[in-house]
Amino acid sequence: MTALAGELVPATRNGLSLLLLAMADDEFVIGFSDSEWTGIAPMLEEDVAMSSIAQDELGHAQALYGLLAEVVADGRDADAIAYDRPPEGYYHARLLDHPRGDWAHTIARRYLYDTADSVRLEALTGSAHEPLRDLAAKIRREERYHEMHVGAWLERLATTPGEPRRRLLAALGRLAADAATVLAPLPGELSLVMAGIVDAPGDDLDARWRSKIGPTFERLDLPMPPALSDAAGARTGHSDAFRSLHAELTSVRRLEPGATW
Amino acid sequence: MTDTPPADRTPAAGAAGRGLEPWEVFRQEKDGDPMRHGGSVLAPDAELAVHYARELFGRRQESVRLWVVRRADVHDLSDPDLLSPPLDRSFKKPGGYVMRDKLAAARARSGQAKPKARQG
Repeated sequence: MTALAGELVPATRNGLSLLLLAMADDEFVIGFSDSEWTGIAPMLEEDVAMSSIAQDELGHAQALYGLLAEVVADGRDADAIAYDRPPEGYYHARLLDHPRGDWAHTIARRYLYDTADSVRLEALTGSAHEPLRDLAAKIRREERYHEMHVGAWLERLATTPGEPRRRLLAALGRLAADAATVLAPLPGELSLVMAGIVDAPGDDLDARWRSKIGPTFERLDLPMPPALSDAAGARTGHSDAFRSLHAELTSVRRLEPGATW
Repeated sequence: MTDTPPADRTPAAGAAGRGLEPWEVFRQEKDGDPMRHGGSVLAPDAELAVHYARELFGRRQESVRLWVVRRADVHDLSDPDLLSPPLDRSFKKPGGYVMRDKLAAARARSGQAKPKARQG
């Protein structure tokens, strides 16, 4: 069974729009934020790797915004959705509101995000919304490498005593309260589950995520992220750090509104 | 916050001190092609060396396979005494002897003309 955007009932269409917006904004914000390492990563090879991964995320965001533009069909294209919103109009998880911080902080944030994103993509592999199912399958193939890369870094920071482990633990501490925001239940997710667009609600995805990262955290003796205390605010009330990031990432676009780039 | 690059992030400077070492990367462009040397990366271990090789030699779909080898594991031979002997060893080349001048002299002695190229 497949469902195209035009055939969706309004509740499902709204739910799908929010899901796509959440996914696209997540990828957009972490992609832009991690691209700040370009030129200053700890070594040249890592500079290339992190920049390339950040670019991949922007590519995923572009594809997701494109899909969202088809679903909402209000005349805005992917760029308009990506750039022409005030900071409070963004719908990324609060985990990504944190600035990139030091290298350990970037790795901790990326690990928490990538593993949650992977659970989210997996829940779409049988999606009844065919364009989303196909896109999720393509994105998953690239995310596999991202997970390997960040996993390698988490491992070496966690197992190297002294400053590396100390900085990693400090980063996980700073991120703890927002760690579980990526999979927090979305408004309207029930209609998506019923329409077969997502295979489970957020609470189930959160449990899958915890069983996915649990063995790694246990082996590396790292504290598991606590349960989310405020699911309703998981994607709102963005930080000053994000406002600065937003001002920067929209700065070129704002130079000449309506220009064709 | 780490906003400034480490002072030692210059080519090779301090690489060994930070546990980095060079890895040689070989790449295959398409199935059936030989593995060719692509270049090298600096990395602390095989796992990251493979990741970096993938980024630098494979992310634009220019390779279907990569081999990553620790440079220290490569046995180098570049001694000119062993590879470029000073005496004429052209007789060891598969091209063999140069017969043209000898044949011309033999024909001149016997008075035979050079045979025409065979008609196809």
